[in-house]
Amino acid sequence: MTIDELWRGLVTTALLGTDRRDPPSAQGELGDLVADSVRADPSSRMLAQVAACTAVRRAGVLPGPPLMPLAPPVADDRPPCPRAAVDRWRHITTSWPVLEDEWMLTLIEQGWRLAPELVPQVLRRQRRDPVRRIRVLVAAGPLAAWLGEHLPELDSASTRRPTGVEMERMAVLPDLPVPPDLVALLTAGGAEIGGTIAIGLEERTLGEAHRAVLINVIARCRTDALVDVADVLDSVDPSSPGRGLASVLADLATTRHRMLDELTAR
Amino acid sequence: MRRVAGPSADRSGACTSAWPHVGTVITVRWSVEQVESVAPSPSAVTAAQPLATPQRWSGLGADDRGIWGSCQGSGAEPYDTAVDHVGVGFRCSCPSRRTPCKHALALLLLWARDQVPAGVPAPSTEVWIARRITTRAASAASTPESADSTSGGTAESTSGDGSAGSDGPGRRSGGAGGGDSDDGTATEPPPEHERNDARDERVERMFAGLTELDRWLDDRIRTGLADPALARYATWDDLAARLVDAQAGSLANRVRRLAGLVGASVTWHDDVLGELGVLHLLSQAGRRLGSLPDPLADAVATTVGWQVRKADVLGGVPDTDHWVVAGRSDQREDRIEVRRHWLRGESSGRWALLLSFAAYQQSLDDTLEVGTAVHADLHRYPGPALRALLGTRHPDPVDLIFPNEPGAGPPAGRPPGQTIAAACDEIGRMLVGEPWLDRLPASVTAAVARSGNGWSLNDHTGSLPLLGSSERSGRSGEHGLAALLAASAGAEVDLTIEWTPHGVVPLAIHVDDRSIDIGPRAEESFVGSGGER
Repeated sequence: MTIDELWRGLVTTALLGTDRRDPPSAQGELGDLVADSVRADPSSRMLAQVAACTAVRRAGVLPGPPLMPLAPPVADDRPPCPRAAVDRWRHITTSWPVLEDEWMLTLIEQGWRLAPELVPQVLRRQRRDPVRRIRVLVAAGPLAAWLGEHLPELDSASTRRPTGVEMERMAVLPDLPVPPDLVALLTAGGAEIGGTIAIGLEERTLGEAHRAVLINVIARCRTDALVDVADVLDSVDPSSPGRGLASVLADLATTRHRMLDELTAR
Repeated sequence: MRRVAGPSADRSGACTSAWPHVGTVITVRWSVEQVESVAPSPSAVTAAQPLATPQRWSGLGADDRGIWGSCQGSGAEPYDTAVDHVGVGFRCSCPSRRTPCKHALALLLLWARDQVPAGVPAPSTEVWIARRITTRAASAASTPESADSTSGGTAESTSGDGSAGSDGPGRRSGGAGGGDSDDGTATEPPPEHERNDARDERVERMFAGLTELDRWLDDRIRTGLADPALARYATWDDLAARLVDAQAGSLANRVRRLAGLVGASVTWHDDVLGELGVLHLLSQAGRRLGSLPDPLADAVATTVGWQVRKADVLGGVPDTDHWVVAGRSDQREDRIEVRRHWLRGESSGRWALLLSFAAYQQSLDDTLEVGTAVHADLHRYPGPALRALLGTRHPDPVDLIFPNEPGAGPPAGRPPGQTIAAACDEIGRMLVGEPWLDRLPASVTAAVARSGNGWSLNDHTGSLPLLGSSERSGRSGEHGLAALLAASAGAEVDLTIEWTPHGVVPLAIHVDDRSIDIGPRAEESFVGSGGER
């Protein structure tokens, strides 16, 4: 009797219980081991055999037969985005999701492909939004379709052919709502943007009620303004009631600046 | 439920019921058969026989409650031994973990043969007996209806060491691989005799708990795995609670994990039966610690849940190396999140395990990043333990294994890839020494391949099934598979994996310029920010 045959016999007995069925008898060294069991009643013998058999089977762990390798995905010549960009994506999805569209579009424009380890997470994250989903499929390249073939839960929309409208929208960074009195900041320089916001916070003409629109301003202002915006907002008087929000906005400006730096430096 | 002859266990682990109860002191000399019935094994009686001669003893004496004497052993100092023959308790200054040890058995044998003169106990013995009487009287008063060992569920006060075994915050029991007790720096250490008493009580509790566990296992085997009671969590939780009370917290955790296997897959009967076998193995080994080689006894004691003070572990010989953080794995155990960091010594090639714990909204240790190395002293738990504590960190900066420089290539320290067959050999060698280990690290160079309805790691030497690729996936297993598939694109890659009896878990992918942490991760809603990426 092989160890596997013995084990199958033990499982069968265990299902019924030793009150209804006697355990199989182990042979050879295992049998000798069990014969040393202190008590000879069926349940004791059974437990001793199960313990010994489990120890032998686990310590004798053997590989299964070799399997057929998977066919690889179609090659993608684009380099994967740098590690810093991977870390940045994780940061912006938890802290600054307003930057996510720009991160993805910049990555595509700069000729990167999504780092492979990010692809499943991004596919899951953009399962429902068709435009963002298209961006992911473009950024991930053939790997996305290949993953969808093997893991159906990642394939919710990848096989649907995108509409023309969706393709057009895919390439455009979506506008964010900004009130008319702040629209001019979108094209202003960093000192002006930072100064306007800082003064507004200190004079309380801007405050927490404006947080969302101020975030939108910084998420869509000129990219060459970001360093100055961060500097000015960081210099807001610590005793000012607007200091907290100023620090938050400075962090957004810094994050956006670094994000773009990482994706544009080749 | 069947009862063995001789003393049985109450919930405190003290032996009762076959002999007179508290407050009814009746001097009845034991028979040799009764002495044999309390021995942890027949070999213990055999070992005691040569000592059961009055010539080996000094200060022998007995009264209507206790027996005492000093036995000249192999050490310079004689071992002070005492037995409470009414309440059935033992103490000895020898280092044996067996309860009763061979000296206590020898003392009982001498008394059973009427070779111990009547006398007055030494003050330390008198105090010990008095404490036992007080403790047992209080215990009897608090549970007047019954001392039935099956009626667990209420936590006893902690034993004299003052710790109920805090492996992690809010934890009553030791965690996987044994627990750490508090260092106790805030209070004066108790006197020597009290520490002995505390140890005796803990040993007695654990011994009784293991006996209880084996009876429970026996019942399961007799009634069968088809018994509907197995599907009720209370069946397992009651046992786990009793094991916690018996100071066997690690076994309690195993029992709770085992409950989760019932009905979890089409092969759950196989899985549950195997785990019952391991519990039986540990129960038997835990009651025979004294007859095991020291390293094995240490491993068994720690696995069962014997508390080891952190200070004692950190006081051990350090294992100094550049430790590569090869993989990380989070797992919820009851109400505690457990994080495992698997480290591999660059010089020694040895594996080590660092654990951290977090209760709800607490943070796990996030200071060790997969793919980095740290030059540090590790202090291993007793026995051939994988588990260790991080001691001194040496001042070298934490280096990335793969510095982000073009052409740097994989430097030394990257866990060496090996075939699936070689990994199985490595895992098997570790399991031969400790077959109860349920998580082991290994490094392989392998690809992902389909295996029926599931997935496996595969190379030309064979395949290993992936845990989490089928119905047992749990919370993060599928994510690991998806990340592995994406990062490897079906090609062979270097991996750190965690072996479990039910399949392997991919923890990290080591690609040319970095390591990618894909191990199961704690739910962000449960742990604090430290558990997030």
